[in-house]
Amino acid sequence: MNAVTEPREAVPMGLVPGPFHDRLEALNHQRAWMNWMGVASPAVLDTVEFEYFAIRNQATLFDVSPMMKYRIAGPDAEAVANRLVTRDVTKLRPGRVAYAIWCDEAGNVVDDGTLFRLSATEFRLCCQEPQLAWLDDVAWGFDVTVEDVSRDIAGLALQGPTSCAVLRDAGLAGIEAMKPFDLREFRVDTHAVTVSRTGFTGDLGYELWMAPEDALAVWDRLMEAGRLRGIRVIGYQALDMARIEAGFLLPRVDFVSSETHLRPGRARNPYELGLDWLVALDKPQFNGRRALVRLAKGKPRRRLVAIEIDRDKPAHHALVYHAKRREVGFVTSALWSPTLKRNIAHAWVEAPYDEAGDLWVEIYRQRELVWQRRMARARIVERAFFRHPRRTATPPADW
Amino acid sequence: MSLDAIVIGAGHNGLVAAARLGQAGRRVLVLEAEAAPGGLLGEAGGMRIAAMPTGLHPEVARGLALHRHGLRPGRPMATLALGGDAPLRIEGAAVTGVDAATAAAFADLHRRLARQASALAPMMLKVPPRLRDGGWGELMTLARLGLGVRMLGRAEMRELLRILLSNVWDLLNDEIGDGALAGALAMEATLGGAMGPRSPGTVLPLLYRLAGQPRVMPEGGAGAIVAALVRAVEAAGGQVRTGARVEALLAGDDRVEGVRLAGGEEIRAPLVFSNAHPKATLLDLLGVRHLDAEDVRRARRMATEGMVARLDLALAAPPRLPGGTLPGPGDRIIVAPAMGTLEAAFNAAKYKENPDRPALECHWDAGASRLAVSAQFVPCTLKGGWTAEARDRLVANVLSVLDAAMPGLAAEVGDVTLATPADIEARFGLPGGHWHHGEFRVDQMLMLRPFAGAAQYRMPVAGLYLCGAGAHPGGDVTGLPGWNAAGVALKDGRGR
Repeated sequence: MNAVTEPREAVPMGLVPGPFHDRLEALNHQRAWMNWMGVASPAVLDTVEFEYFAIRNQATLFDVSPMMKYRIAGPDAEAVANRLVTRDVTKLRPGRVAYAIWCDEAGNVVDDGTLFRLSATEFRLCCQEPQLAWLDDVAWGFDVTVEDVSRDIAGLALQGPTSCAVLRDAGLAGIEAMKPFDLREFRVDTHAVTVSRTGFTGDLGYELWMAPEDALAVWDRLMEAGRLRGIRVIGYQALDMARIEAGFLLPRVDFVSSETHLRPGRARNPYELGLDWLVALDKPQFNGRRALVRLAKGKPRRRLVAIEIDRDKPAHHALVYHAKRREVGFVTSALWSPTLKRNIAHAWVEAPYDEAGDLWVEIYRQRELVWQRRMARARIVERAFFRHPRRTATPPADW
Repeated sequence: MSLDAIVIGAGHNGLVAAARLGQAGRRVLVLEAEAAPGGLLGEAGGMRIAAMPTGLHPEVARGLALHRHGLRPGRPMATLALGGDAPLRIEGAAVTGVDAATAAAFADLHRRLARQASALAPMMLKVPPRLRDGGWGELMTLARLGLGVRMLGRAEMRELLRILLSNVWDLLNDEIGDGALAGALAMEATLGGAMGPRSPGTVLPLLYRLAGQPRVMPEGGAGAIVAALVRAVEAAGGQVRTGARVEALLAGDDRVEGVRLAGGEEIRAPLVFSNAHPKATLLDLLGVRHLDAEDVRRARRMATEGMVARLDLALAAPPRLPGGTLPGPGDRIIVAPAMGTLEAAFNAAKYKENPDRPALECHWDAGASRLAVSAQFVPCTLKGGWTAEARDRLVANVLSVLDAAMPGLAAEVGDVTLATPADIEARFGLPGGHWHHGEFRVDQMLMLRPFAGAAQYRMPVAGLYLCGAGAHPGGDVTGLPGWNAAGVALKDGRGR
């Protein structure tokens, strides 16, 4: 073995700045940086309340550049994408986006994400967890290349009722014609920007994808166009509130990826997660299909359900009981929803109590070092707590 | 004629599976790519790769009534170990040519290993239990195996568990000391694979060999096994078609439907048994489109590098052992003077080089005036490639080792036929040229053979079964993989 003598580029210590860092840093009064895939990402810039209400009433910018992005391209790209995810990709036209999950051989969910069909032979997959090794395995034997393009593409989520108007004022002519999950190319001044009508808030919103070197110019143009539309830069905490209201799941929070769990039996399948609608068992072989066919015939042993809880105290990490006595589950995400004025949560509930009623959550609260315990009644409700008609209206109303 | 089953490959395991299916009333067609049946046991390219086969498992020979098809069970072969002053003769637990203390130590070791091996032996005929999620199923499997081991008694069990994953180098040095006897045993433990005597896990293959069948030379030679099996298939109403290379498996709606031959001909059957290598079966014949990514990964990563080259030497005069005697038809000659010789040869092969002094296993076929030689360790992918010079060098090294062990032999050598692991790989579609289709390693045995989740002969696509050496219990010429695979399929058929 020869010693390595060539000098190597030093790997930076700690978090690295993302493509929008210069602007974020100026606005980040709280100095509250989070680690998102090694990139400094704001948890909250000013106050979480202002940021949250801006999502629901105005327009908000959130830097999604740290998200993992993969390019799947080549003659067999469709076959590989279709083999990867449980949805039928042959029905996804170029210029469209699909929310999708992918499973391992046991039918357990590896991760979820959005699949962008850029052309007949090119896809982009956006997701939370690194997936390159998994994609390489799925693509082996096919005429296709899989590349990690996470750092080659900057991403901005522009969400909120006035987001369409902001984009139109920024010069994106025809933006109002885009339907939900549409994908189109635009120019912001001279910069190429790909826009998808997608988001994590259950409301009107878009995601903009561009080259990192164009990031600041596009940012400036949007901030300027949005000045009178109440545009506001937000951090993760506000987005997470909107995410729970919209009923979206988060890996590591609501479920554990089958690729990262260590203890047997901790991975979860789509039927347990309530994502049956994403599984196309009528398409030919895809990863996990044989196991999913079996699982579809039985009843899930537990389900991730949406619950609404009496009283106003959020049920963070609370245990779920049946008839106040038998422990049957636990809460993964919880929120007092300021918009809905409802106490909402995602919770795992063991069968058959997921259909039984008489569910209670045990809420612990501490007031000046004194703990209080309350049993609050919980009811299973529709997963999407908040889904505004604005989300799908085309063209969106001018706010 | 509508078929019930197709068997890909007329190697001995394919023929055993076909004969068992035929006996159960199934109409079977065996498709063989070569011009003659037999696989590694057959005469392909003018050479029989498995020149010194183990005997078929008695259950298989009895079940197929092979004695009625002309197979006379031969006597277990004796092993002559060269390298010392006089050849050692090993027959079972008895060895002559060593001092009394070594002979006693060997007898003791042999008896102990044989008893420990007998705890494993019942697993050979069984379908290995299923591995599920790495959870309770796996533990139960191990528990069942563990029970057999526990029945050995506390002291013996401890001893077995102590040596099970260790290496033969340490074991034999502890028990009998190095030398030609240890060399011959270490050869037994490593033959066919890619592990040297000092590699961890080499005691297990030795136990496996002791638990399995002894080597026999049937009347009429190794070819008699193939001939009897073909007659058994035909007597059961089956058909063997040679010169028919299967190019692809036909599968639709998650179920196998038949095969396509190289010429484009399609043959339909609801069951297909593949005696081809698991990698070739899944990745090439079936295609990754029909498989989950995890199975593709496991198939790709099977350890399948073989390190044995075969040479046939035409001799003008019979080989003479030191002392002047001639080897008999039931004698197997091993030239591995010490375990260090094997380890040095392994080191060369590990780094993709030709060994200077390969270890040899030989059999003298007086009728054909031919010395069949298996030489290890020889890499499949040689640094610089298998050029004519590289081949000549290997032959020269083999002849020099032979001439040192049996002086004067090199002068009698006429024609030499050589099959490197690369040749074996190309001729038989065996990735890595591995005799046993996959390394006998603890992570590729029992319920892990050929890989986790694929151990019950059934493949993910319904109706497709593995029936070759890649499946449990693996290589050598026992016929058990084919026998067990047919049994599983017949049971599946009854359940439907």
